[in-house]
Amino acid sequence: MVDALREVHRVLAPGGVLIDARPDSRVAAYAVRQKARGFQLFGVVNTSAAELVNDRASDRAIARVVREGLFKRRRRGRFWHRVPFDSLAALRQYLWEHLRFVRRAKWVVDTATRNRYSNEKFVIRRAVRYELLEARPTK
Amino acid sequence: MSTGTESLVGDLGRHIPALSSTLRPRPDDELREWGGKRLVRGKRVLDLGCGDGRFALGVAPFAVRVDGLDPDIEGIAAAKKNARGAGVRNVRFAVGAAQHLPYPDGDFDVVILSWTL
Repeated sequence: MVDALREVHRVLAPGGVLIDARPDSRVAAYAVRQKARGFQLFGVVNTSAAELVNDRASDRAIARVVREGLFKRRRRGRFWHRVPFDSLAALRQYLWEHLRFVRRAKWVVDTATRNRYSNEKFVIRRAVRYELLEARPTK
Repeated sequence: MSTGTESLVGDLGRHIPALSSTLRPRPDDELREWGGKRLVRGKRVLDLGCGDGRFALGVAPFAVRVDGLDPDIEGIAAAKKNARGAGVRNVRFAVGAAQHLPYPDGDFDVVILSWTL
């Protein structure tokens, strides 16, 4: 990863901007039911252990190239993204197949509630982080 | 991803097949969160780990030139097809690894790692 970031620095003009955006695994994602007005929390979706390791490695790689003086941190932030599903079954299938998340949500509603609303619209609400880094001139 | 490119690729792009890009935020939404179109307006942009070109094609109307690079051969094929379909002419896509970028020094004003690193 550090090699890739050094290459990015090479192809950027001095003062150019690197934008790093990715899911924020430091914040849990949520499985929620879409209601006519608002949302109902159904469960918490954690990031898989492997992805947590990957994300920390990415953070370390960014920190390293900043320490090396290749980039200067300019701005960072976070926003929420909603992934829509037509049913609870579709959401569960997504979790089962998606490598980023654990395969099962931690439900905060009982089985009867899940069954009652299983054919309604659901979303996974996940945090996305971003950071803008400025390429510094090579000394 | 083909076995041939795997050794060059490292971690980048490993977990996210191009098709999953439909489940990501729309380029407009992401760009707005980052600071708006001014970030790419009139700039030379590289979308690293571009997959099926979702983001590259999204910023192309504002940028002078957009290059998309991804180790996934199928993703790049889809990106080229999408670019043709959209009639976008200032975008180029290529298969390659982030560790060996096929571009000269200082060739870009903005490099985007959108759900890539």
